Amino acid sequence: MKPTPVNAPLRMIWNALYWTHERATWQYDVMVIAILAFVWLTPPGWLGDPTATGSGPIGWLIHLFK
Amino acid sequence: MTFTGFIGAACMLPLRAIIAVCVKLKIHPNTLTFIGVLINIAAAWSLALGRYVLAGFVMIVANIFDFIDGKVARERQIESEFGGFWDSVMDRFSDISLFIGLIYLYSTLGRTDYVMITALAMMFAVLTSYTRARAESLVEKCKVGFMERPERIVLFMIGAFTNRMAGVLWVMLVLSILTVADRIYFTYRELERNKPRLPATSGV
Repeated sequence: MKPTPVNAPLRMIWNALYWTHERATWQYDVMVIAILAFVWLTPPGWLGDPTATGSGPIGWLIHLFK
Repeated sequence: MTFTGFIGAACMLPLRAIIAVCVKLKIHPNTLTFIGVLINIAAAWSLALGRYVLAGFVMIVANIFDFIDGKVARERQIESEFGGFWDSVMDRFSDISLFIGLIYLYSTLGRTDYVMITALAMMFAVLTSYTRARAESLVEKCKVGFMERPERIVLFMIGAFTNRMAGVLWVMLVLSILTVADRIYFTYRELERNKPRLPATSGV
């Protein structure tokens, strides 16, 4: 089925949920970046992280370029 | 080449040298698998003590053994059905050990919420491999779903090295649930597709 403007976003969501892509594809890269963004950018307080300390990788980067 | 493909290729360079050494020393792949499990238990112990960075390094060593066993078997042309079975059983042992390490840590911190999240992530990690194994006794191949063992291992390492284990556990839990659901749906569809059709009858 050819994606139309209406069903294209739905299809994208479906493809992310029903994962059939191989490793080392652009879809895989996008998923990895999304996961890393969630892990590193979500403030530990929001998740009630019991062990997180410090500013994390993003904080390290900011400190590096200051 | 994709970003993850490049990382994979870069990691393969030192691994090829290690594989060559193991082949030269004639180390049996099943021994490598077993050593990998023992080192993973050490990683689980480090996680249990909250020593994340140490756990991360130990996990790297453990997973080198885990990764090269199959390759050494192929290079030495001693692949066997038992080797495959042994490898997959030991993989489950290693996986569960890491989760138990975290469950111990969170229980000593009195965090029942994260004990539950880790336990659920462990349950769905086991179900991920079980659904594939069971599905492949019914259909030819069932490799759908994102969160497989390599992804879990890399996530554990990222969580350990960057001290962001809670985020990692949430990702593992949600994506493992999706992976199990994907495999159930895929198997259902494949079985329905291959169902023998009854010939159309006319009349009564």
